[in-house]
Amino acid sequence: MHPFLSPKTLLTRVAAAILLLVLVMVACSFVGTEPISLKAALAGPALSSASPNPDYEILLRVRVPRILLAAIVGAALAGAGVVFQAILRNPLADPYILGVSSGAGLGAMLAVICSVNWTLWGRSPVAVFAFFGALGTVWLVWTIGRITGKFHVTGLLLAGVVVNACFSAVIMFLTSITRSQDVYATVFWLMGNLAEEEAFVLWASGGCVVAGIVALLFLGAQLNVISFGPTDARSMGIHVERVQFVALAISAFITAVAVSLSGLIGFVGLIVPHAVRLVLGPDHRQLLPLSCVAGAIFLIVADTVARWIVAPAQLPVGVITAMAGGPFFLILLIRYNRKVYWLS
Amino acid sequence: MRRWCVLLALFVAWNLLGYALFRPQRIDADVRAPNASHPMRIVSMAPNLTEILYALGLDERVAAVTGDSDYPPEAATKPRVGSFWLPNLEGIIAKRPDLVLSLDIPQQRSLAARLRRMGYDCLVLSIWTVDDLFGAIETIGRATGQHIKANALASGIREDLVRLGRTRAGRDRPRVLWVVQREPLRVAGRNTFINELIELAGGENAIGPTLHKYPPVGAEQIIGANVQVIIEPAMMGGDPAEQRRRALAHWGRLASVPAVADGRIHVVEADAVSRLSPRLAEGIQLIAGCLWPAEGGE
Repeated sequence: MHPFLSPKTLLTRVAAAILLLVLVMVACSFVGTEPISLKAALAGPALSSASPNPDYEILLRVRVPRILLAAIVGAALAGAGVVFQAILRNPLADPYILGVSSGAGLGAMLAVICSVNWTLWGRSPVAVFAFFGALGTVWLVWTIGRITGKFHVTGLLLAGVVVNACFSAVIMFLTSITRSQDVYATVFWLMGNLAEEEAFVLWASGGCVVAGIVALLFLGAQLNVISFGPTDARSMGIHVERVQFVALAISAFITAVAVSLSGLIGFVGLIVPHAVRLVLGPDHRQLLPLSCVAGAIFLIVADTVARWIVAPAQLPVGVITAMAGGPFFLILLIRYNRKVYWLS
Repeated sequence: MRRWCVLLALFVAWNLLGYALFRPQRIDADVRAPNASHPMRIVSMAPNLTEILYALGLDERVAAVTGDSDYPPEAATKPRVGSFWLPNLEGIIAKRPDLVLSLDIPQQRSLAARLRRMGYDCLVLSIWTVDDLFGAIETIGRATGQHIKANALASGIREDLVRLGRTRAGRDRPRVLWVVQREPLRVAGRNTFINELIELAGGENAIGPTLHKYPPVGAEQIIGANVQVIIEPAMMGGDPAEQRRRALAHWGRLASVPAVADGRIHVVEADAVSRLSPRLAEGIQLIAGCLWPAEGGE
């Protein structure tokens, strides 16, 4: 455990990060392909009965929902990334490592191929199938990992890699037999993309992600001990298996929520936890909340760039997270080289 | 344990409150007739829809198009609202459209659903076959108050197709291999609109029924298929002459294939043959030109 982390320092850092998040959200609301005026936007939804107010609609029905969505997805992916790295004790772990990506991809592909038309709570079938595909795959990987026995973490990782490979092959097969337009649609989905969502979807998924992160915070101290190794943790009286299961289940749940909202946005869950760890140290009581806020900020900025950089067109946000996030992370890695605990 | 119970209770309460405040709306994805009978600010979300609008003489009423709408050339001067795959919702709203035309693909269906939630009229058109194209032209005609022009356009295209078909009635059908991608090799299968175009041009797809729409095939199948003509659509922005030179070099390995032995390898302009648009007859002419070069496609 980090010896210098007092509750006061922790609270100050979290509060500062949240303040920064709010500032970034406000700033990004005014960046986009169409110039808008705040005064005009605040005039209300309709200029007259027959003419709606475009500034209001662009700000409050397009940009703000999208920024909130980016915050929810970014926080979920970064938070889940922290937990996966801690439990699997592997610096390469990310939220997708236990099969979430291929499970969600397969679910999305099936929804597209079967032309499913019903919706669940306002969510499209692709999102619903992706959500259950992701959760189902993590459950499958967890079960296989348990069967492999003693070296549970190694078993989990191997099961994750193999299930990912198998499902990816099924996705490739389905891709090759599907109508080409649908294939492209799914490929764009796999690249990761953010779009405006309904208020209820934002409300409910925001609730799921925040509740998940708070639940993971309850486990922060135990995760610190587990990241030193299961034997040490057991000797300190921690139910390693139970903590691992609960933490993985919650992380898989918030990842599945994120994936069903935005497709597979890569890199956030891998580099944000590492970046925060490099700069501020590995204590999970701090790493988890700060990674969530940093993930939210990172994805909001990346999505704003994606909305605006090739205007009037847009890019999938996954392209920006990987292209900008990679070099940024390498700079941090070199700069804070001496602070890398896990990689040294 | 108590804090977990509190968290769970708060979570349930939060969702119930959310449900009470913002009851979710159904995503309405079906094709629905728009409200305005004479829309004056139309946004087209696909290049072939843009072509239909221009063919119906609605150029003045087109407010914006996608970045890939490049035909007719005037369409490229209209404001752009993202691309076919990544539409820019902000840009669409800023154009104040009274009708948005989109295709029946997942991205555009969800775009239409979002626009409808905000109260914009959207028409989602499913254009996968030649028959769908006629249906779409008539639907767009009704939605824009141009049904007479639309009927005339559709029947004009139908007549062209009948005329083209009549010229080649009773003749042998050349076996055509339509190459979508050379490495690895993928070709158009039977269950595609390209197959329809080949048949309307008087040819026959050399590839039999397959599980895939655009099946990957091997040299063995090509040799066995007795291919008489190989056609490749030109790559976007590429030089067709250079592409044909490369195609000849590539296929040179399979000298026993009749198309290769006779040098009947063609590169055709991609837009006319890859979009289901009012230029359909033109596309079929292009293909017929490859099948019967001496007759110039007639």
